[in-house]
Amino acid sequence: MSRRFGATTTGKLIGIVIVLAIVAGIFALARLDVTGRKGSGLSDQFVYDVKDLAKIDPSLILYEETVLPIRTGFTNARGLVVGPQRSMYVAGDKAIRRFSENGQILTEIELTDTPGCLAVADDSKIYIGMKDHVEVYELSRGAGPRGGKRLSSWPTVDGAGDAVLTSIAIRQDDVFVADAGNRIVLRYDTTGRLINRIGQKDSQRNIPGFVIPSPYFDLAVGRDGLLRVANPGRHRIEAYTFDGDLEFWWGKFSSALEGFCGCCNPVNFAILDDDSFVTCEKGLVRVKVYNPQGVFVGVVAGPEQLVEGGTSRICTLPSQCQAGGFDVAVDSRGRIFVLDTIKNTIRIFTRKQT
Amino acid sequence: MMGENKSAEGEITRRHFLRDSLWGTCLAGLGVLTGFVITKLRKTNTLWQIDPYTCVACGNCATYCVLDESAVKCVHAFPVCGYCRICFGFFGPEPLDITEGAENQVCPIGAIKRRFVEDPYYEYTIDESLCNGCGKCVKGCNTFGNGSLFLQVHHDRCLNCNECSIAAACPSGAWKRVPAEQPYLLKPALSPSAALRVNSAEGMVAHPPQAERGAGNHA
Repeated sequence: MSRRFGATTTGKLIGIVIVLAIVAGIFALARLDVTGRKGSGLSDQFVYDVKDLAKIDPSLILYEETVLPIRTGFTNARGLVVGPQRSMYVAGDKAIRRFSENGQILTEIELTDTPGCLAVADDSKIYIGMKDHVEVYELSRGAGPRGGKRLSSWPTVDGAGDAVLTSIAIRQDDVFVADAGNRIVLRYDTTGRLINRIGQKDSQRNIPGFVIPSPYFDLAVGRDGLLRVANPGRHRIEAYTFDGDLEFWWGKFSSALEGFCGCCNPVNFAILDDDSFVTCEKGLVRVKVYNPQGVFVGVVAGPEQLVEGGTSRICTLPSQCQAGGFDVAVDSRGRIFVLDTIKNTIRIFTRKQT
Repeated sequence: MMGENKSAEGEITRRHFLRDSLWGTCLAGLGVLTGFVITKLRKTNTLWQIDPYTCVACGNCATYCVLDESAVKCVHAFPVCGYCRICFGFFGPEPLDITEGAENQVCPIGAIKRRFVEDPYYEYTIDESLCNGCGKCVKGCNTFGNGSLFLQVHHDRCLNCNECSIAAACPSGAWKRVPAEQPYLLKPALSPSAALRVNSAEGMVAHPPQAERGAGNHA
């Protein structure tokens, strides 16, 4: 009797163990993730998170986007300027396109290669920075939508093989060209004759030199007659005389809003009519305003407005990350035009009414 | 006359010789063909690798490998690097200070080392014995820098499983088979002209100090 009872108990125990093993197996299989959907399982310290940095206090955002973005039609928009008569000129792919205020293409100039930057003079001549040379065009009168006549082409003089022209600015008879490849600013006259070089490392003149880790190197001429040049590797904007003397600079590294974040910012900037600066940063894509002394004033738009609507996602694929060097331009009405180089659109921001 | 004699004696005739030769040739050809097909089907001439332009540095490479220590580790393409003083592949997004203090570094295990080159340039290298392939530094470098840090399968460690568990868990499809003769997908040394390319990680211009130019990829 007791032997039979013991045999029954052993059988039950074995059955229970088998059932438990099957349940545990099913549970383990259900939890097994071979698709990666559950994530890496790494702790938070292994996660790169800049979402908090991307958030901006709404009270600091001084501008708003009141019109729909203008599609440039480019797959690789590179540079933006606002020319005379408030038309917008965009360099991209292998062309320059001129847009009206309502976004219509007025003119297209076809080029043989990809332009890197452009500037429009008061006489409406268009100076286009190609990889290693400058081409000058004028809009042909009455020539229709494909009007554009090439007037001249200047080769750069410094190491053409390394040259990467990233910005052009014009003041009367002077044309300033930023060469990111050679880390120098070249000053030409309007005929293409080199006058002098600006910003070359020179301890005698107390010039530290430009640090350009990525192909963003912008410049503009202020109303005070000084040339402003972004020195992104040093996180500042430097002021030079046309003869190349470094007068002063402003800007500092900081992940906070007041400073320039990342390895190398600002990537682009523009000067408003009140001499304030509008700066663009990559990485954390932020467009901000600084007063003429370089004191932070406010934000035009941050990652939540610029990159992914309503979210603070920065970028996912390397190509998206690298494309975040937005360009910026301003007009006489104080509007700020941002060239979104990810979506290849022009975003127009106006100051909020207080 | 000799042939007829041999045939009569049960020895090899010309006809038999030709027939046997034909059979032999056919069998040899079949063998060669079978060997060729088997070699092709075995695919032993390909290896797993990560496409750095598709990788999103999700972190799965660190934990899904069948090895205790993942076969995936970070590598650094010096010709693409900007040699920045404030490198966001080295420093966290909000460093307390720009020093090598552990609290300022992005890598939780201190696998990235930096060396001063000349003002303001620094050289960054990966300590592969420490790197676990989490990709945190890759994310920082891609977001803010030139993307010179990226993940690669190290073939001195990889078992080359047919069904790679990391490849199955890769959310971006960055894992691919590459020829064994070219086992790494390294970002190439680029001329500055590449900077004008279409929105692409290839479009970066690197400015290492003059002394460092020409340095190759480090894998």
